Amino acid sequence: MNQSTPLLSLQPGATGSIYAIHDMNPILRRRLYDLGVHEGSVVSMKQRGPFGGPVTLECNGQLLGIRVKEARGIEVSVC
Amino acid sequence: MSSFALVGNPNTGKTSLFNTLTTSYEYVGNWAGVTVEKKIGDLKEGGGQLVDLPGIYSLHPLSKDERVATQYLIEETPSALINIVDASQLERNLALSIQLLEYGRPIILGLNMMDVAKSRGIHVDIQKLQEQLGVPVIPLIARTGKGSSEILSTLKDFGAVDSPVLTLDYGAAEEAITDIEKMLTSIPNLPNHRWVALQLLAQNPVILQALSSQIDMAEVDAISNRCEAKLLQAGYISSLPEWIRSVRAGFIEKLCHTVLDRSTQKPHNLTERLDAILTHRYLGIPIFLVFMFLLFKVTFDWIGNPLSDLLDGFISGPVSDGINNALDAVGASSFTHALIVDGIVAGVGGVLVFIPQIFVLFFIISFVEDSGYMARVSLLMDSLMEAVGLNGKAFIPFIIGFGCNVPAVMSARSIEQPKDRLLTTLLIPLMSCSARLPVYALFAGVFFQSHQALVVLSMYVLGIAMALLLCKLFSSYLLKNEANVFIVELPPYRLPQGRSLMRGTWEKGKGFLRKAGTLILGGSVLIWFLSYTGPGGFGVEMDDSFLAKIGGLLATLLAPLGFGTWQAGASLLTGFLAKEIVVSTMNIIYHVPNMEGLQGQIALSFTPLQAYSFMAFVLLYTPCLATVGVIRKETSSWRWTVFSIGYALILAYLISLIIYQGGRLLGFS
Ligand SMILES: Nc1nc2c(ncn2[C@@H]2O[C@H](COP(=O)(O)OP(=O)(O)O)[C@@H](O)[C@H]2O)c(=O)[nH]1
Repeated sequence: MNQSTPLLSLQPGATGSIYAIHDMNPILRRRLYDLGVHEGSVVSMKQRGPFGGPVTLECNGQLLGIRVKEARGIEVSVC
Repeated sequence: MSSFALVGNPNTGKTSLFNTLTTSYEYVGNWAGVTVEKKIGDLKEGGGQLVDLPGIYSLHPLSKDERVATQYLIEETPSALINIVDASQLERNLALSIQLLEYGRPIILGLNMMDVAKSRGIHVDIQKLQEQLGVPVIPLIARTGKGSSEILSTLKDFGAVDSPVLTLDYGAAEEAITDIEKMLTSIPNLPNHRWVALQLLAQNPVILQALSSQIDMAEVDAISNRCEAKLLQAGYISSLPEWIRSVRAGFIEKLCHTVLDRSTQKPHNLTERLDAILTHRYLGIPIFLVFMFLLFKVTFDWIGNPLSDLLDGFISGPVSDGINNALDAVGASSFTHALIVDGIVAGVGGVLVFIPQIFVLFFIISFVEDSGYMARVSLLMDSLMEAVGLNGKAFIPFIIGFGCNVPAVMSARSIEQPKDRLLTTLLIPLMSCSARLPVYALFAGVFFQSHQALVVLSMYVLGIAMALLLCKLFSSYLLKNEANVFIVELPPYRLPQGRSLMRGTWEKGKGFLRKAGTLILGGSVLIWFLSYTGPGGFGVEMDDSFLAKIGGLLATLLAPLGFGTWQAGASLLTGFLAKEIVVSTMNIIYHVPNMEGLQGQIALSFTPLQAYSFMAFVLLYTPCLATVGVIRKETSSWRWTVFSIGYALILAYLISLIIYQGGRLLGFS
């Protein structure tokens, strides 16, 4: 059984599948959905940004950046 | 005439395809949202018109430019759609395609970026995709134009036939769809009713708005509530819009399973390696700053200025002599002679010598846009922008603003939240556009010869610093925005192509040339005329002219800033038309044949401190006429437009006052 952990706890390069998304701004949530990031999709952590800045994620070969405070709401189960 | 629309996700190569399909061309860029307005071109071989719509992820808009596309689909009836999809990102792109297929117009799927997909080891079975969707699928490489003739020939014998509409089974929502369709039967000029019904049930704001006066919205709500209750009963916890999305997602997943072979997929090696450095936690920002510094070095010291000097020599030498000789030969009157030589040649020529700097700057901006670095810059700058109440995406319009504020204001449309958009729009004029460059180049060339790039850079930094400061101020007191969000797509890095760079540079730079031929030409004639005439009649001494009188009114006001001369007042006043006119006016006023002469005059009229204060004033004092026009258009508010001029004037006055008076206290002159 896979344990769910916060996305932010992933090391750069590690991958997980999204288990739940909590308390996220609806606009952001929609945009993430448009980019294929939703429950069940596989994301990998690429990089932490400068000065607590945005994290870079990859999903389906698409790179995208979101803020740390928003990424906090994403839980993944590590595959 | 047939009209076709080009629809697709941002950054999938729409603009590139548009350019290869049409005889006129558009601007290409490698960051989401370069096409900010719908653009129309004539198809090659006279097949009709092609409309390039802004990039969208779904028909459900989040930002203003996304509305344009949905609005187009509901208001107009294109003969056919060309849906361009990125073959290397098929799954994500198809979410939009499904909604377009339901729309019911004939449609071609242009499968672009085939080269990228191939090199990344992604194989798409075109035959199968075509069978499953029931529409023609054409593989493309928009960048090289491969596949565009197939598109043109398919479009030709299209139109007449109605292609089959894609009908998914929405299960528990089917009853609601049928009910809504019944309500729509009496309304004329609607696209496919099932499509409209689905968009209504999915709460698409554009469609809701378009139909709000034509059907009973309470009834629509009742229908969707009933349907949601049914979904709940069946054990789904999702809302109706979510249900609709999940049905589509399920279809796409199955489809991709049959048409995609990802077994040999490779990661983005190059992009990852570059990102590891360029967006590095600690190195990213210093690299960006070094990059900006090099940009100025190249634009001024290394390439721009030497070329500019050559051009100046050419205009003041052979061109002026030629015109003088020609005027003498035809026996022109002294009035005509003065008009042409002292007015037009001095005014327009004085600005034209800066073409090299401006084109070099535009070339570099095009390179940054096309390479994919621009999106990374917004990532790097997000923390800073968040601290002042905006988000990193606003940084992109700011950088475009270095080229010209007008397209910068338009590109702010891709920012999702209205308040962020307004804030960005209001602050863009503080970004030092290329039209201000001639002024800096002139003054820095006279007073700060050994540190020219640095002094000019300091103007840009001053503009940015003021923008950040005011942003904090406005967002805390004036435009309190709720939680602002940030999300940016990072396209893979691509080496920009020479051809598209040239086009991008030309597209941006030609506005400058056009301005030189119209506004600046007209302005120069007017200014010259005002300097040639006065209360005493024609041909008066410059100091007795109308221009001197008008400028004199401002002089007392400007005296505390260090440039209380009528010449400075008059140039600033005319500079509102376009900031480079400041230089044209000085050329006319000081009555000099070339840049060297003007530099000599300026050296006599200003001290270095006064010059610096003047440069800062020109940077900040008001958006130019064209920018004011576009701010008015984008904000649809005179109040905000007047505000943008007002705050800039106050700011400019304060800053120049601080620079001049502070500088004097510190013992500078
Ligand atoms: N390798 C490759 N690059 C492409 C292709 N089509 C477009 N591009 C590049 O993708 C970037 C975005 O293209 P653009 O036409 O601006 O996309 P738009 O945002 O959808 O209008 C540009 O850098 C293009 O040069 C293609 O088929 N192959």
